Amino acid sequence: MRIAPRRVAALLAGTLLFTLAGTAEAESSSQEAETYVAPRGPGGKPDLNGTWQAFNRANYNLEHHPAQAAMAMRKGPVVPVPAKEVVALGAVGAVPAGIGVVVGDEIPYLAKARKQRDENRENWLSRDPEIKCYLPGIPRATYMPFPFQILHNKDALFFAYEFAGAVRNIHLTDPGPAPIDSWMGQSVGSWDGDTLVIETTGQNDQTWLDRAGNFHSEMLHVTERFTPTSPHTLSYEATLEDEKVFEKPWSIRMTLYRLVGNDARLQQFNCIEFVEELIYGHLRKKPLD
Amino acid sequence: MSARRRHFAETARTAFVAILVLCRFVSPAAAEDEAPAAWESPRMDWGVPDLQGTWTTATITGLQRMDDVDELVLTPEQARRIEQGSADFMASIDQVPEGDLAAGENVGGYNTFWMDPGSRLARVNGEIRSSLLIEPEDGKLPYSLRGWGRLLKTWWNLDNVDNPETRLLGERCIVGFGSTGGPPMLPVLYNNHYQIVQSPGFVMILVEMNHDVRMIRIGAERLPAAIQPWLGDSIGHWEGDTLVVETTQFNPGQSFRGSLRHAVYISPDATVIERFTRKSEREILYEFSVDDPRSYSSIWRAEVPMLATNSQIYEYACHEGNYSMLGILAGAREEERNPR
Repeated sequence: MRIAPRRVAALLAGTLLFTLAGTAEAESSSQEAETYVAPRGPGGKPDLNGTWQAFNRANYNLEHHPAQAAMAMRKGPVVPVPAKEVVALGAVGAVPAGIGVVVGDEIPYLAKARKQRDENRENWLSRDPEIKCYLPGIPRATYMPFPFQILHNKDALFFAYEFAGAVRNIHLTDPGPAPIDSWMGQSVGSWDGDTLVIETTGQNDQTWLDRAGNFHSEMLHVTERFTPTSPHTLSYEATLEDEKVFEKPWSIRMTLYRLVGNDARLQQFNCIEFVEELIYGHLRKKPLD
Repeated sequence: MSARRRHFAETARTAFVAILVLCRFVSPAAAEDEAPAAWESPRMDWGVPDLQGTWTTATITGLQRMDDVDELVLTPEQARRIEQGSADFMASIDQVPEGDLAAGENVGGYNTFWMDPGSRLARVNGEIRSSLLIEPEDGKLPYSLRGWGRLLKTWWNLDNVDNPETRLLGERCIVGFGSTGGPPMLPVLYNNHYQIVQSPGFVMILVEMNHDVRMIRIGAERLPAAIQPWLGDSIGHWEGDTLVVETTQFNPGQSFRGSLRHAVYISPDATVIERFTRKSEREILYEFSVDDPRSYSSIWRAEVPMLATNSQIYEYACHEGNYSMLGILAGAREEERNPR
């Protein structure tokens, strides 16, 4: 079949126009974000007070991932099936697909560390600290499926997270190296123009980065950047440096959303009592079946 | 005040004896200093009083009146004796006998490295106090018969090691022990620090023990009745320079709040009203009243100085390292298998 050259030209022109239009639209929205100037708040900086949440799939896996039946799987006769511990959850226990938040798509693990990550993933049920209601660490606290509240004024900056009642006080003057490692680390904040920059160090090696076994060591240094992109959104970027685990520094990027309306507040999610059966159930006088 | 995990069961006996000993140093009293001059509270940008900072309530004044004392206010001489007695006692705790203990002997609880109960009696408006309670006048908790009944029932069950849920909240790491998170927030054996941060519409109090956050909503509506959080539901308002916080809807699991020096029983529908007034750069006067007709024959009130500290609050990660619960339950199961 022959196609008339004129028609080909029209088709090409149409495609080009469509592509250009698409690009223009993308550029205009990104320019809008870049040129957005937040109203002045405490100390002449943007006002970050509010309740925020990431609405994405990063906590399942920071990297690209398809939907699957469960986080914990086992071999099936035909295809992998959910592990017996989670099979009763059905669709509730399934994992939604996620466009990765890692800049450059893949986390640059050292070879040995990548193996460790894969083992972690295989043993998710017994190893993920989230399952035991342990403090989530930074940056994972940011993209847990729970909100966090920022309290911000000219003298203080404080993050309160709903999950496990985690907290971090953001030091506005550097107190020097953290005296001891902790689950949430020590955070020091500063401003780069309208971007809040938080450096977190002094975390222990017990927290993970997601449910997919991504992890770090106690050497982790996290640099977070929070930039208002509209009255209701923040651009969030976190750069992770950890020479024991990663070949080079790498970053994640996502949007954080301001909660609005009557339920725009933290609830209490003190999950410790919810995991007592899991952790201590076998030590009851009469263990349940 | 670093991230320490501790559970007070073993130490309780030792320190309880200590308190009894301390109470013997005391006899009747009168006032010390003049009340300080009025002081103007600093304000936040949006006009409300500024309560921000890190504060401690550590004091050797107990909630209830010392046994041998009738008066609320101690003389400076009495205060010196009591404070010295406390210091001597703390020093004595660290003197352990030489050599090994015989098998089966009690190895004791913490030494003083783990304790931080303060070294001074509470000073309120220049008065040195023999109890934090100012009402009733006798400085004793006005338990009703029913209230005592509830308390005794809880005490009776303290040795129940059948299930994790029968252990105290502090051991379970659900909230700190002894009502440190309150409300009312009572001084206990250690980690008596609080960080206050404000934003328009909120006053946040970070309770050091178990990093519990009290997010006090100013002028807001109560939570629906179906939600009864740990530490209750706190709504605040400002009266002049004073933050007034009214709390109710307590989690029913939080009624019993035991510490070495006090045991309070606060019903889920009790009303606790707290008043925070900045008295100086370095002090907030923390007053509260507890209205709980189910447990007490009258409303009780107390005054606690919150003193500024330059220290930082470190993370109090309790649950993450809770080997004690495993030890308590596993020990009980072992004892059942091989009774002594």
